[in-house]
Amino acid sequence: MSQPVHVENPVNVDELEVVDGRAYENLEGWIPALASEADIQNALEKAFDYRGDISLTFKSGETVEAYIFNRQTGKSLADSYIQYFASNAPEKRRATYADIARLEFTGKDRAAGKQWEAWIKKYTEKKAAGETNIALHPEALD
Amino acid sequence: MAVPISQMWTVASYILKKRISGQKKYPLVLMLEPLFRCNLACAGCGKVQYPPHILKKQLSPEECFKAVEECGVPMVSLPGGEPLLHPQIVDIVNGLIERKKYIYLCTNALELKKRLHEFTPSKYLTFSVHLDGQREHHDMSICREGGYDIAVEGIKEAVKRGFRVTTNATFFDGTDPNSVRSFFDEVMSMGVEGIVLSPGYSYEKAPDQQHFLGRAKTRRLFRAILSNRKKSWKFNMSPLFLEFLMGKRNYECTAWGSPAYNIFGWQKPCYLLQDGYTETFQELLDTTNWDEYGTASGNPKCANCMVSCGYEPTAVNAGFGSLSGFFAMAKAAIFSSYKDKGALDLLNNHSTFAAQHDHFVKIDSIAPASSVGQLEETRA
Repeated sequence: MSQPVHVENPVNVDELEVVDGRAYENLEGWIPALASEADIQNALEKAFDYRGDISLTFKSGETVEAYIFNRQTGKSLADSYIQYFASNAPEKRRATYADIARLEFTGKDRAAGKQWEAWIKKYTEKKAAGETNIALHPEALD
Repeated sequence: MAVPISQMWTVASYILKKRISGQKKYPLVLMLEPLFRCNLACAGCGKVQYPPHILKKQLSPEECFKAVEECGVPMVSLPGGEPLLHPQIVDIVNGLIERKKYIYLCTNALELKKRLHEFTPSKYLTFSVHLDGQREHHDMSICREGGYDIAVEGIKEAVKRGFRVTTNATFFDGTDPNSVRSFFDEVMSMGVEGIVLSPGYSYEKAPDQQHFLGRAKTRRLFRAILSNRKKSWKFNMSPLFLEFLMGKRNYECTAWGSPAYNIFGWQKPCYLLQDGYTETFQELLDTTNWDEYGTASGNPKCANCMVSCGYEPTAVNAGFGSLSGFFAMAKAAIFSSYKDKGALDLLNNHSTFAAQHDHFVKIDSIAPASSVGQLEETRA
């Protein structure tokens, strides 16, 4: 089952002019403490939302760099799991919450700095410098 | 209405069969994302922000066909990423045509002109070209100067070669309705079959979270844009969905109507929210708590959403699902001018649509609002 949502919304959404989005959270480099079940669940929820790789260390001692794309919470850590793609393997993998000893948000946050204002600032600067064919380019994959 | 009769018949008979069989939840369009890799880096896009090893992954043609057959949809949208970067996109498209699926290949068209010779025109294949507005607006939107001109070249070549072509625009806070109406004139003059449009939505995976329209402003904006409609404008969308955007109808989200499938699996609950994945389509239907989504749920993640992937299936089901719905759809298609003096006033006072956050680049070439009003009176 996924994380519960807030079902109470006192705002009449039909009257909204603009909507405030979610606040950005800078998690790059974060090493969460995993002292309790709640700590583990909270950290893995953030890992699921994170747009970069996570270093996962399992209780077996194995460590992998991985992109966590799914999580499913059950009644206990043993029946809750994540799904991930390891950076060096083609197949989907699965691990229970109970197997995880350590998390580190080591990968670059690919969503950071991608706001509209950042583009406008860059564009304005380049335009003022006389550049033409101004563009943002996708990052290299290798 | 720009959608061909054969396609409408396919969709109508599909819905009828589902209803007769008593099936409550069924999809209409599969959002099949064969890859996330893109040749643009648009600020605000939440679809391409992944580590390189994820961006290098892609669905095989066989995986695409399996997903299509698994959910049984009559229509398939191929977004991404940029689908034309997929090395087997031609095989995927041809395989879907063999299966008689109506395909919308969503592309930024940077590669379209040079790749067109690899495709064969078919009533089943439409190139849905991403154009967010007039030249300056589109170039700023995709963060690339010159992008509009390249896309327009691709559109014109595709039209010339006999392909079905639509344009696909997303509008954010700060959109000038007069500019959008001029944009409609521009794209229709290119010979496209129709226009597809949608308001932007602040889904949580989007890296830009500040420039999204609330529902009240969305309705006002689309009332201004879509009222006093010109006969030359064609929309490749349900006319009831357009009425929903204009504030003339109230619909709830049909999140399962446009399910998304990609390298991670079947996405919960919809194309834009990413609340997890399942291995099968049936598992998606069975394990998603659908009551937790849509505006009626009170879920803040859904608060401002009026996006086509959730609400157009509702409109299509309403149109083909009952006689009254069908008559409403026929009326909307026939009497499509939507004369509205109040909407003309909105165009003449278009500064009320200025962005709460001042971010849009001013376009000097927009027709004065007063002359737009006069044009509408005489040409609509």
